[in-house]
Amino acid sequence: MNTEQLIRSLSGNVPRVPRRALGRRIGLGILGGAAVTAVLVAAGLGIRPDLHSAMHGFSFWMKWIYTGSLGAGAMFGVVRLARPAPTSLKGLWLLLVPVLLLAGIGIGELADTPSRDWLAMWLGQSWKVCPWLVLTLAAPIFVGLLWSFRRLAPTRLRAAGAIAGLAAGAWAATIYCLHCPEVSALFVLTWYSLGILLAAGAGALLGPRLLRW
Amino acid sequence: MQIGEAQLKTWMTSGLDGDAAAHEALLRALVPLLRSFFGRRLRDAGDDVEDLVQETLIAVHTRRASYDRDRPFTAWLYAIARYRMIDHFRRRKVSVPIEDVEAILITEGFEDAASAKLDVDDLLTGLSPKQAQAIRDTHIEGLSVAEAAARASIGESDVKVSVHRGLKALAARIRGEQP
Repeated sequence: MNTEQLIRSLSGNVPRVPRRALGRRIGLGILGGAAVTAVLVAAGLGIRPDLHSAMHGFSFWMKWIYTGSLGAGAMFGVVRLARPAPTSLKGLWLLLVPVLLLAGIGIGELADTPSRDWLAMWLGQSWKVCPWLVLTLAAPIFVGLLWSFRRLAPTRLRAAGAIAGLAAGAWAATIYCLHCPEVSALFVLTWYSLGILLAAGAGALLGPRLLRW
Repeated sequence: MQIGEAQLKTWMTSGLDGDAAAHEALLRALVPLLRSFFGRRLRDAGDDVEDLVQETLIAVHTRRASYDRDRPFTAWLYAIARYRMIDHFRRRKVSVPIEDVEAILITEGFEDAASAKLDVDDLLTGLSPKQAQAIRDTHIEGLSVAEAAARASIGESDVKVSVHRGLKALAARIRGEQP
Protein backbone atom coordinates (compact mmCIF):
# COMPACT_ATOMS: atom_id res chain seq x y z
CA MET A 1 0.00 0.00 0.00
CA ASN A 2 1.39 3.39 -0.73
CA THR A 3 1.56 6.08 1.88
CA GLU A 4 -1.18 8.16 0.32
CA GLN A 5 -3.66 5.25 0.42
CA LEU A 6 -2.65 4.50 3.98
CA ILE A 7 -3.35 8.06 5.10
CA ARG A 8 -6.72 8.02 3.41
CA SER A 9 -7.74 4.74 5.01
CA LEU A 10 -6.51 5.81 8.45
CA SER A 11 -8.39 9.09 8.18
CA GLY A 12 -11.59 7.21 7.40
CA ASN A 13 -11.90 6.23 11.03
CA VAL A 14 -11.11 8.98 13.53
CA PRO A 15 -12.93 8.31 16.80
CA ARG A 16 -12.93 10.94 19.49
CA VAL A 17 -10.29 10.42 22.19
CA PRO A 18 -11.27 12.17 25.40
CA ARG A 19 -8.65 13.84 27.55
CA ARG A 20 -8.76 11.16 30.21
CA ALA A 21 -8.68 8.27 27.71
CA LEU A 22 -5.31 6.94 28.85
CA GLY A 23 -6.18 6.74 32.53
CA ARG A 24 -9.55 5.29 31.70
CA ARG A 25 -8.07 2.56 29.54
CA ILE A 26 -5.57 1.57 32.21
CA GLY A 27 -8.31 1.61 34.83
CA LEU A 28 -10.51 -0.59 32.65
CA GLY A 29 -7.69 -3.07 32.08
CA ILE A 30 -7.06 -3.36 35.81
CA LEU A 31 -10.76 -3.57 36.66
CA GLY A 32 -11.39 -6.25 34.06
CA GLY A 33 -8.48 -8.32 35.34
CA ALA A 34 -9.46 -7.68 38.95
CA ALA A 35 -12.96 -8.98 38.27
CA VAL A 36 -11.49 -12.28 37.05
CA THR A 37 -9.17 -12.42 40.07
CA ALA A 38 -12.10 -11.76 42.41
CA VAL A 39 -14.04 -14.63 40.86
CA LEU A 40 -11.00 -16.90 41.25
CA VAL A 41 -10.65 -15.94 44.91
CA ALA A 42 -14.35 -16.34 45.65
CA ALA A 43 -14.81 -19.59 43.74
CA GLY A 44 -11.38 -21.19 44.13
CA LEU A 45 -10.20 -20.12 47.57
CA GLY A 46 -13.35 -18.94 49.28
CA ILE A 47 -13.97 -15.66 51.05
CA ARG A 48 -12.91 -15.84 54.69
CA PRO A 49 -16.04 -16.64 56.72
CA ASP A 50 -15.32 -13.98 59.33
CA LEU A 51 -14.88 -11.22 56.76
CA HIS A 52 -17.62 -9.12 58.27
CA SER A 53 -16.14 -9.03 61.74
CA ALA A 54 -12.60 -8.80 60.35
CA MET A 55 -13.56 -5.59 58.60
CA HIS A 56 -14.02 -4.02 62.00
CA GLY A 57 -10.50 -4.99 62.98
CA PHE A 58 -7.15 -3.24 62.55
CA SER A 59 -5.20 -5.90 60.69
CA PHE A 60 -7.64 -6.18 57.81
CA TRP A 61 -7.37 -2.47 57.08
CA MET A 62 -3.63 -2.50 57.63
CA LYS A 63 -3.34 -5.10 54.90
CA TRP A 64 -5.74 -3.35 52.58
CA ILE A 65 -4.14 0.03 52.96
CA TYR A 66 -0.69 -1.50 52.43
CA THR A 67 -1.53 -3.38 49.23
CA GLY A 68 -3.92 -0.70 47.99
CA SER A 69 -1.37 2.07 48.35
CA LEU A 70 1.24 -0.05 46.54
CA GLY A 71 -1.33 -0.64 43.79
CA ALA A 72 -2.15 3.05 43.51
CA GLY A 73 1.53 4.01 43.48
CA ALA A 74 2.30 1.44 40.79
CA MET A 75 -0.56 2.80 38.67
CA PHE A 76 1.14 6.17 38.72
CA GLY A 77 4.15 4.47 37.13
CA VAL A 78 1.98 2.56 34.65
CA VAL A 79 0.34 5.76 33.46
CA ARG A 80 3.70 7.39 32.90
CA LEU A 81 5.36 4.43 31.19
CA ALA A 82 2.37 4.03 28.88
CA ARG A 83 3.50 7.17 27.06
CA PRO A 84 6.39 7.05 24.62
CA ALA A 85 8.46 9.79 26.21
CA PRO A 86 7.87 9.12 29.90
CA THR A 87 8.13 11.98 32.30
CA SER A 88 10.11 11.57 35.48
CA LEU A 89 9.55 8.41 37.49
CA LYS A 90 11.17 9.80 40.61
CA GLY A 91 7.81 9.79 42.41
CA LEU A 92 8.01 5.99 42.55
CA TRP A 93 10.25 6.33 45.60
CA LEU A 94 7.02 7.06 47.47
CA LEU A 95 6.24 3.34 47.17
CA LEU A 96 8.70 2.89 50.02
CA VAL A 97 6.42 4.84 52.38
CA PRO A 98 3.85 2.06 52.91
CA VAL A 99 6.67 -0.49 53.18
CA LEU A 100 8.40 1.52 55.91
CA LEU A 101 5.14 2.18 57.74
CA LEU A 102 4.32 -1.51 57.74
CA ALA A 103 7.83 -2.32 58.93
CA GLY A 104 7.23 0.13 61.78
CA ILE A 105 4.05 -1.70 62.75
CA GLY A 106 5.98 -4.97 62.48
CA ILE A 107 8.61 -3.76 64.93
CA GLY A 108 5.82 -2.80 67.32
CA GLU A 109 4.45 -6.34 66.97
CA LEU A 110 7.81 -7.86 67.81
CA ALA A 111 8.02 -5.71 70.92
CA ASP A 112 4.57 -6.86 72.03
CA THR A 113 5.17 -10.56 71.39
CA PRO A 114 7.36 -12.92 73.40
CA SER A 115 10.32 -13.91 71.27
CA ARG A 116 9.44 -17.61 71.28
CA ASP A 117 6.30 -16.74 69.27
CA TRP A 118 8.09 -14.64 66.70
CA LEU A 119 8.63 -17.42 64.20
CA ALA A 120 5.02 -18.60 64.35
CA MET A 121 3.82 -15.03 63.88
CA TRP A 122 6.13 -14.44 60.95
CA LEU A 123 5.27 -17.68 59.14
CA GLY A 124 1.55 -17.64 59.99
CA GLN A 125 -0.53 -20.49 58.60
CA SER A 126 0.06 -19.87 54.94
CA TRP A 127 3.55 -18.54 54.26
CA LYS A 128 4.27 -21.37 51.82
CA VAL A 129 1.36 -20.60 49.52
CA CYS A 130 0.79 -16.88 50.01
CA PRO A 131 3.44 -15.53 47.60
CA TRP A 132 2.52 -18.05 44.91
CA LEU A 133 -1.18 -17.33 45.24
CA VAL A 134 -0.53 -13.61 44.90
CA LEU A 135 1.60 -14.25 41.84
CA THR A 136 -1.06 -16.46 40.25
CA LEU A 137 -3.87 -14.06 41.04
CA ALA A 138 -1.85 -11.24 39.51
CA ALA A 139 -1.93 -12.93 36.09
CA PRO A 140 -5.46 -11.84 35.06
CA ILE A 141 -4.75 -8.23 36.06
CA PHE A 142 -1.47 -8.30 34.16
CA VAL A 143 -3.33 -9.57 31.11
CA GLY A 144 -5.81 -6.72 31.57
CA LEU A 145 -2.94 -4.25 31.54
CA LEU A 146 -1.51 -5.85 28.41
CA TRP A 147 -4.87 -5.10 26.82
CA SER A 148 -4.62 -1.48 28.03
CA PHE A 149 -1.17 -1.10 26.53
CA ARG A 150 -2.34 -2.21 23.11
CA ARG A 151 -3.62 1.29 22.41
CA LEU A 152 -0.82 3.01 24.29
CA ALA A 153 2.80 3.41 23.44
CA PRO A 154 5.28 2.15 26.02
CA THR A 155 8.85 2.47 24.79
CA ARG A 156 10.72 1.21 27.85
CA LEU A 157 9.30 -2.26 27.70
CA ARG A 158 11.10 -3.88 30.59
CA ALA A 159 10.29 -1.06 32.97
CA ALA A 160 6.70 -0.95 31.74
CA GLY A 161 6.39 -4.73 32.21
CA ALA A 162 7.84 -4.53 35.72
CA ILE A 163 5.59 -1.73 36.85
CA ALA A 164 2.56 -3.43 35.30
CA GLY A 165 3.52 -6.60 37.18
CA LEU A 166 3.87 -4.59 40.37
CA ALA A 167 0.45 -3.03 39.92
CA ALA A 168 -1.08 -6.41 39.07
CA GLY A 169 0.57 -8.02 42.10
CA ALA A 170 -0.50 -5.28 44.48
CA TRP A 171 -4.13 -5.33 43.33
CA ALA A 172 -4.16 -9.14 43.33
CA ALA A 173 -2.91 -9.05 46.92
CA THR A 174 -5.66 -6.56 47.78
CA ILE A 175 -8.26 -8.99 46.51
CA TYR A 176 -6.51 -11.92 48.15
CA CYS A 177 -7.07 -10.16 51.50
CA LEU A 178 -10.72 -11.21 51.16
CA HIS A 179 -9.58 -14.79 51.61
CA CYS A 180 -6.42 -14.60 53.69
CA PRO A 181 -6.96 -14.68 57.48
CA GLU A 182 -3.39 -13.72 58.45
CA VAL A 183 -3.15 -10.81 60.87
CA SER A 184 0.55 -10.12 61.40
CA ALA A 185 2.22 -7.08 59.87
CA LEU A 186 5.48 -9.00 59.54
CA PHE A 187 3.68 -11.74 57.67
CA VAL A 188 2.23 -9.24 55.21
CA LEU A 189 5.49 -7.35 54.92
CA THR A 190 7.35 -10.51 53.97
CA TRP A 191 5.03 -12.85 52.13
CA TYR A 192 2.62 -10.44 50.48
CA SER A 193 5.51 -8.25 49.39
CA LEU A 194 7.35 -11.28 48.08
CA GLY A 195 4.33 -12.25 45.97
CA ILE A 196 4.03 -8.71 44.65
CA LEU A 197 7.74 -8.61 43.84
CA LEU A 198 7.50 -11.96 42.06
CA ALA A 199 4.75 -10.48 39.92
CA ALA A 200 6.89 -7.44 39.17
CA GLY A 201 9.81 -9.70 38.27
CA ALA A 202 7.64 -11.79 35.97
CA GLY A 203 6.44 -8.56 34.35
CA ALA A 204 10.01 -7.42 33.81
CA LEU A 205 10.87 -10.75 32.19
CA LEU A 206 7.81 -10.83 29.97
CA GLY A 207 7.54 -7.11 29.21
CA PRO A 208 9.99 -6.90 26.30
CA ARG A 209 8.28 -9.81 24.58
CA LEU A 210 4.63 -9.11 25.31
CA LEU A 211 4.56 -5.33 25.14
CA ARG A 212 6.38 -5.03 21.84
CA TRP A 213 4.51 -3.18 19.14
CA MET B 1 9.15 25.81 5.15
CA GLN B 2 8.24 22.87 7.31
CA ILE B 3 5.09 22.93 9.41
CA GLY B 4 5.88 23.72 13.01
CA GLU B 5 4.97 22.36 16.40
CA ALA B 6 2.06 24.74 16.95
CA GLN B 7 0.21 23.75 13.78
CA LEU B 8 0.89 20.04 14.24
CA LYS B 9 -0.35 20.19 17.80
CA THR B 10 -3.52 22.00 16.76
CA TRP B 11 -4.24 19.33 14.18
CA MET B 12 -3.51 16.59 16.68
CA THR B 13 -5.86 17.99 19.30
CA SER B 14 -8.63 18.57 16.76
CA GLY B 15 -8.13 15.00 15.55
CA LEU B 16 -8.43 13.76 19.13
CA ASP B 17 -11.70 15.66 19.35
CA GLY B 18 -12.91 13.67 16.35
CA ASP B 19 -12.06 16.03 13.47
CA ALA B 20 -11.13 13.63 10.66
CA ALA B 21 -9.98 16.39 8.31
CA ALA B 22 -7.51 17.72 10.86
CA HIS B 23 -6.28 14.20 11.49
CA GLU B 24 -5.71 13.67 7.79
CA ALA B 25 -3.88 16.98 7.50
CA LEU B 26 -1.70 15.94 10.40
CA LEU B 27 -0.77 12.55 8.94
CA ARG B 28 -0.02 14.19 5.61
CA ALA B 29 2.22 16.78 7.22
CA LEU B 30 4.10 14.10 9.12
CA VAL B 31 5.18 12.26 5.98
CA PRO B 32 8.01 14.62 5.00
CA LEU B 33 9.11 15.02 8.63
CA LEU B 34 9.33 11.28 9.12
CA ARG B 35 10.96 10.68 5.75
CA SER B 36 13.75 13.03 6.65
CA PHE B 37 13.97 11.65 10.20
CA PHE B 38 14.42 8.07 9.00
CA GLY B 39 16.24 8.98 5.82
CA ARG B 40 18.98 10.69 7.74
CA ARG B 41 19.44 7.68 9.99
CA LEU B 42 19.13 4.81 7.51
CA ARG B 43 21.39 5.41 4.61
CA ASP B 44 20.67 3.71 1.25
CA ALA B 45 17.45 2.09 2.41
CA GLY B 46 14.63 3.75 0.54
CA ASP B 47 12.08 0.95 1.01
CA ASP B 48 12.85 0.63 4.69
CA VAL B 49 12.38 4.36 5.12
CA GLU B 50 8.95 4.24 3.52
CA ASP B 51 8.00 1.17 5.60
CA LEU B 52 9.04 2.97 8.76
CA VAL B 53 7.13 6.09 7.76
CA GLN B 54 4.01 3.99 7.29
CA GLU B 55 4.49 2.03 10.50
CA THR B 56 4.93 5.28 12.39
CA LEU B 57 1.80 6.77 10.84
CA ILE B 58 -0.14 3.69 11.89
CA ALA B 59 1.24 3.94 15.42
CA VAL B 60 0.42 7.66 15.56
CA HIS B 61 -3.11 6.75 14.52
CA THR B 62 -3.79 3.67 16.67
CA ARG B 63 -1.90 4.79 19.76
CA ARG B 64 -2.96 8.40 19.84
CA ALA B 65 -4.55 7.90 23.26
CA SER B 66 -0.98 7.93 24.58
CA TYR B 67 -0.51 11.58 23.60
CA ASP B 68 -0.71 14.02 26.47
CA ARG B 69 -2.34 17.23 25.25
CA ASP B 70 -0.37 19.28 27.73
CA ARG B 71 2.96 18.31 26.24
CA PRO B 72 4.66 19.07 22.93
CA PHE B 73 3.47 17.04 19.98
CA THR B 74 6.84 16.62 18.31
CA ALA B 75 8.39 15.10 21.44
CA TRP B 76 5.69 12.43 21.37
CA LEU B 77 6.02 11.91 17.62
CA TYR B 78 9.78 11.48 17.59
CA ALA B 79 9.69 9.20 20.63
CA ILE B 80 7.37 6.93 18.63
CA ALA B 81 9.52 7.24 15.51
CA ARG B 82 12.65 6.39 17.48
CA TYR B 83 10.96 3.35 19.01
CA ARG B 84 9.82 2.17 15.57
CA MET B 85 13.34 2.52 14.26
CA ILE B 86 14.95 0.62 17.13
CA ASP B 87 12.35 -2.11 16.69
CA HIS B 88 13.13 -2.14 12.98
CA PHE B 89 16.80 -2.78 13.71
CA ARG B 90 15.88 -5.48 16.19
CA ARG B 91 13.64 -7.24 13.68
CA ARG B 92 16.27 -7.16 10.97
CA LYS B 93 18.90 -8.12 13.51
CA VAL B 94 20.94 -5.27 12.13
CA SER B 95 23.87 -4.35 14.24
CA VAL B 96 24.61 -0.69 14.21
CA PRO B 97 28.21 0.52 14.22
CA ILE B 98 28.82 2.21 17.52
CA GLU B 99 29.66 5.53 15.94
CA ASP B 100 26.22 5.62 14.35
CA VAL B 101 24.37 5.03 17.59
CA GLU B 102 24.78 8.61 18.60
CA ALA B 103 23.30 9.80 15.34
CA ILE B 104 20.34 7.46 15.80
CA LEU B 105 19.67 8.60 19.29
CA ILE B 106 19.90 12.30 18.53
CA THR B 107 16.93 13.80 20.20
CA GLU B 108 14.83 15.66 17.76
CA GLY B 109 12.30 18.24 18.77
CA PHE B 110 12.20 17.18 22.38
CA GLU B 111 10.46 19.36 24.88
CA ASP B 112 13.62 21.20 25.77
CA ALA B 113 14.30 21.77 22.12
CA ALA B 114 10.81 23.16 21.69
CA SER B 115 11.26 25.79 24.33
CA ALA B 116 14.90 26.29 23.41
CA LYS B 117 13.76 27.11 19.89
CA LEU B 118 11.94 30.15 21.16
CA ASP B 119 15.10 31.39 22.85
CA VAL B 120 17.15 30.63 19.77
CA ASP B 121 14.74 32.51 17.53
CA ASP B 122 15.02 35.40 19.91
CA LEU B 123 18.80 35.35 19.83
CA LEU B 124 19.10 34.88 16.10
CA THR B 125 17.12 38.04 15.38
CA GLY B 126 20.09 39.98 16.68
CA LEU B 127 22.41 38.64 13.98
CA SER B 128 22.72 39.63 10.35
CA PRO B 129 20.16 37.77 8.22
CA LYS B 130 22.90 35.81 6.46
CA GLN B 131 24.49 34.62 9.69
CA ALA B 132 21.12 33.77 11.22
CA GLN B 133 20.11 31.81 8.15
CA ALA B 134 23.40 29.92 8.02
CA ILE B 135 23.13 28.91 11.69
CA ARG B 136 19.50 27.99 11.32
CA ASP B 137 20.18 25.80 8.29
CA THR B 138 23.26 23.98 9.53
CA HIS B 139 22.70 23.75 13.26
CA ILE B 140 18.93 23.64 13.65
CA GLU B 141 17.56 22.08 10.51
CA GLY B 142 20.55 19.85 10.16
CA LEU B 143 21.47 20.64 6.55
CA SER B 144 25.01 20.02 5.41
CA VAL B 145 27.19 23.03 4.60
CA ALA B 146 26.81 22.26 0.90
CA GLU B 147 23.02 22.14 1.15
CA ALA B 148 22.89 25.34 3.14
CA ALA B 149 25.13 27.03 0.59
CA ALA B 150 22.92 25.90 -2.26
CA ARG B 151 19.81 27.08 -0.47
CA ALA B 152 21.19 30.55 0.22
CA SER B 153 22.98 30.69 -3.18
CA ILE B 154 26.29 31.56 -1.56
CA GLY B 155 29.62 29.78 -1.40
CA GLU B 156 30.34 27.01 1.08
CA SER B 157 33.13 28.93 2.71
CA ASP B 158 30.76 31.86 3.06
CA VAL B 159 28.37 29.59 4.98
CA LYS B 160 31.15 28.36 7.22
CA VAL B 161 32.38 31.85 7.97
CA SER B 162 28.85 33.09 8.62
CA VAL B 163 28.21 30.24 11.03
CA HIS B 164 31.49 30.81 12.80
CA ARG B 165 31.05 34.56 13.19
CA GLY B 166 27.40 34.20 14.08
CA LEU B 167 28.06 31.66 16.82
CA LYS B 168 30.85 33.83 18.18
CA ALA B 169 28.51 36.81 18.35
CA LEU B 170 25.85 34.71 20.01
CA ALA B 171 28.29 33.38 22.58
CA ALA B 172 29.36 36.91 23.37
CA ARG B 173 25.75 38.00 23.73
CA ILE B 174 24.91 35.09 26.04
CA ARG B 175 27.89 35.97 28.21
CA GLY B 176 26.45 39.45 28.41
CA GLU B 177 29.09 41.22 26.32
CA GLN B 178 27.92 43.56 23.63
CA PRO B 179 29.55 42.80 20.27
